[in-house]
Order: sequence, then structure tokens, then C-alpha cells
Amino acid sequence: MLELAIVDYIIIIVYFVMLFTLGFFIKRKVHDLNDYFLAGRRLTLPIFVATLVSTWYGGLLGVGELSFNYGFVNWLTQGFFWYLVYLFFAFFLANRIRKSNLYTIPDQLERFYDKKSRFLGAIFNFIMVTPAPYVFSMGLIFSIIFGWELWVGILLGTIVIVFYTIRGGFFADVYTDFIQFFLMMIGVAMIIPLAIQTYGGFDFLTANLPETHLTLTGGWSTQMILVWGFLAFWTLADPGFYQRCYAAKDAKIPKKGILISIGFWVLFDICTTFTGMYAAAASNAGLLTVESATTSYVSIASALLPPALMGLFLTGLIATVMSTVDSFTFLGAMNISHDLYRNIFKKEATEKQVMNMTKIGIVITIGFAVIISLFFDSIVTMWYTIGTIGISALIVPILVGFFYKGKKSPLASILSMITGSGTSLFWMINGYLNLDSWGWPQYIGGFEPLYPGLLASLVVFVIVNIIHTRRMK
Amino acid sequence: MDLAYLLLLDAAALVIVTIVLTYFFFRDLLRNRKEKL
Repeated sequence: MLELAIVDYIIIIVYFVMLFTLGFFIKRKVHDLNDYFLAGRRLTLPIFVATLVSTWYGGLLGVGELSFNYGFVNWLTQGFFWYLVYLFFAFFLANRIRKSNLYTIPDQLERFYDKKSRFLGAIFNFIMVTPAPYVFSMGLIFSIIFGWELWVGILLGTIVIVFYTIRGGFFADVYTDFIQFFLMMIGVAMIIPLAIQTYGGFDFLTANLPETHLTLTGGWSTQMILVWGFLAFWTLADPGFYQRCYAAKDAKIPKKGILISIGFWVLFDICTTFTGMYAAAASNAGLLTVESATTSYVSIASALLPPALMGLFLTGLIATVMSTVDSFTFLGAMNISHDLYRNIFKKEATEKQVMNMTKIGIVITIGFAVIISLFFDSIVTMWYTIGTIGISALIVPILVGFFYKGKKSPLASILSMITGSGTSLFWMINGYLNLDSWGWPQYIGGFEPLYPGLLASLVVFVIVNIIHTRRMK
Repeated sequence: MDLAYLLLLDAAALVIVTIVLTYFFFRDLLRNRKEKL
């Protein structure tokens, strides 16, 4: 538990009161289902940027851990590779997605293929948007700040999020994201000047860090770097990105918004990476006590920041996680109500029924996440497992749908989703059954599960598409 | 020049662009409200 001044507690309490108040009043803005699902497709550029930047960044503790342990390579693997994929998304996908005027990724799959692809895609989509890793982080942050048991923080955070998301839908999500965005950016930026003032400039880092910490690759193997690089492809099938593009006010906002967001991410990632490195250097120099790499970020903040600023920083930290949990929860709920309930099981459902089903969906999605988060004990493992399975299923059918103009077979899409995710799942299980002496999984051929998964998905799609489209003629 | 200055510049830039974005957010919000009225 941290030792905090009263003013810090007051700041944290004010933040929660703000969330509650916003949740209370936001309901007035919701008039129909379009408002509830996509904030009436009226997101302006600033709010588009704020919600995208804050939602996407849920893993501050993970990033702190990587920079503490390995240094600047964190920026390469968690930043640079992602910027490249964001650029691709901005130039080739963003505006197309907005123009399609749909609601979700499964909607796109039905447009490209058929209802069965929607159904299967919705299931993978649901797995990808489970907020479990972030629910877990939320509990962890509360336990660091207040010394509570994990489940107490999880329960409290969940109640607040469920309250405002149920009342205001996507409106509540994006407006709370704005508050959270502001707190995140300021909270992370203000540590830098204090770290430089207290510990010194770059000489301090070079004197107290292993050499590899200051190199671009951190001494990692090329394959290891590429594996992390490949994870950046997650963006291409990320439901949060799609949802925000659909909700933009006009077709030009998504591209412009993503480009501006990249600017924010670059500035933000540099701050977080160097803060992690300062924590490591200060700890090596014996100037800072760090309990674990995961919580190093909080340790350095607590050593440097005076009261009030510490409260602001901690609210920023809580905000990074909460903005991700609420968005993912809402996406999962839309999956249940829009993709499955309205479009598959009950086509004659009224708007009111769909809205009610979304509210039930919010409770189901977050309930499911709470249960999973109590079973896994590592954020990284959880995130990695979910990502690998979801990406290997969805990326090929989605990208083919957008970019291949020829005839497309629905059967190819379904089989590619099944074989892609099945292959990576098999690879992963097999790896975990054969742990090496360090306790790390040993994968067949040394390849990470994502590669064979994506390859299988692509090969099956191409072959089945050729055969099946011929037969369709 | 100490590279730390660049880092400082980065943090300052982050604060400034955040404030600029917040300004535009409220400007849009008030404009929308006026249009409705």
C-alpha cells in the first residue's frame, strides 16, 4: 500500500464522483439505438482522438515492466511497429470503414460473406474484446494504491463502469474516455521533468543501466522482436478501432484522427519508456526501492511526485485501465445484442429490446471477464493468448473482404477462421505442454503460434476460395 | 547538448497538444449546444 496525503485521496474520489455524475446525466443524450451504440455517429475530431488514444492504452503497468527490464526496445516493440500498422489502417481502411455505415466487425463479415461468417466472427470478436486482462490490471492498481485484496478493487471498478455504461452506452464511454485521456497524458508527462531534476540527465542513465537498455534492440533476437512486431497486426482486426471509425461524424475524420492519434502515441510512448528506464537506473544506483518490475512505474512516481501531483498521477493510472475496460465491455455487449441477438436469433426485435439486451450484455461481458481474470495470474499471458487466437481467426477474412475485388466464398471465410485459430491454439497448447527448464513454452519448430495460425488461415482461404467459387459458377 | 532536453521537450509537447485538443473539444461542444438552441 502507498502512503498518500489526504489531498491525493480527495483527487481520486473526485475522479470517481465525476464518472458517476457523467453517467447520471449522460442518459439525456441517448434518444435511440444509434445514439446508444455509436453516439449518433457524431464523434468530432478531438473526441475521436481522445477516445481512440485512451482506449488503446490499457497496459501501462506492462509497458513499465518491459522498459524497466529491457529499456528502449520497449519503444520499438510496443511503439514503432504499431505506428506502422496504424498508418496502414489510416490510409487504407479507416475511411472505407466509415463509409460502409455499419456497426461492428461481424457486420463487415456478413457484408463480405454470409450470416454464418457473422456468427463465427462474432464469437472470435467476443473473445478478443474480453476486458479480462484490464479488469485484472484494475484490481492490481487498486491493491497497490489502497492495499485492498484484488477482488475488492475489481468489484468496485466494475460497479462504476457498469453504472455509467448501462446508462449512457457509447456516449458515456467516449465522454468518460475524454476525462481519462486528459488525466493519462498529463499524469505521464509530469514525471519526466522531475526525474531529470532529481536524478540527472542522460549521463545518469548511461552510468546506471546495462548497455543493452540504451540500444534499439535491447539485445533481443530478431525473431523475438518480430513476434512482438507481428502482434501489432492486432490493430487490423481491433473492434475498438472499427467502432470509433463507424461513429465518426463524417468520412474524413477517421483517417485524420488516427494520424493525430499516432502523434499522441509517439510522445506518450517516449515518456513511458524513459520513465521505466529512469526507474531501473535509480534502482540500480540504490536511490529507489522497487518491489517488482510490474509496479516500478508506481514506485518511481511515488518517490518523485509531491502530494496532489501524486493523486493526479494515480488517477491517470486508474484512468488508462478504466477507459479500456469500459470500451471493451461495451463492445462485447454489442456483440451479444447487435451481432447475435438482433441479427441472428431475433430479427423482429424492437429497438427497445435490443437496447435492453445490450444492458444485459454489459453485465454478461464484464462478469465473464471478472471470472477469467481471477483464474489467470499474468496480464501478459492473458493478453497474448487472447490476441493470438483472435487475430489468427479474423485478419485474413477481413483483409480479403476489404481488398480482394473478385468473387469470395463464404465457405472459405468460415474454414479459414476455424483452421487459423485452431492451428494457433494447437501450437500454443503443445508449447505449454513442453516447457523448457526456465518454464517457457517450447513451440514446434521454434515458431510462435501466431505465424502458423495466420499461414494456415491464409492457405485454407486461398485454396477453398479457388475451388468453391468455381463450383459456385 | 544533453539528450535529456529532448525528453523534456517531448513531455512538454505532450502537455501542450493535450491542452490544445481539450480546447477544441470544448469549442465543438459549445458550438453544438448553440446550434441546438
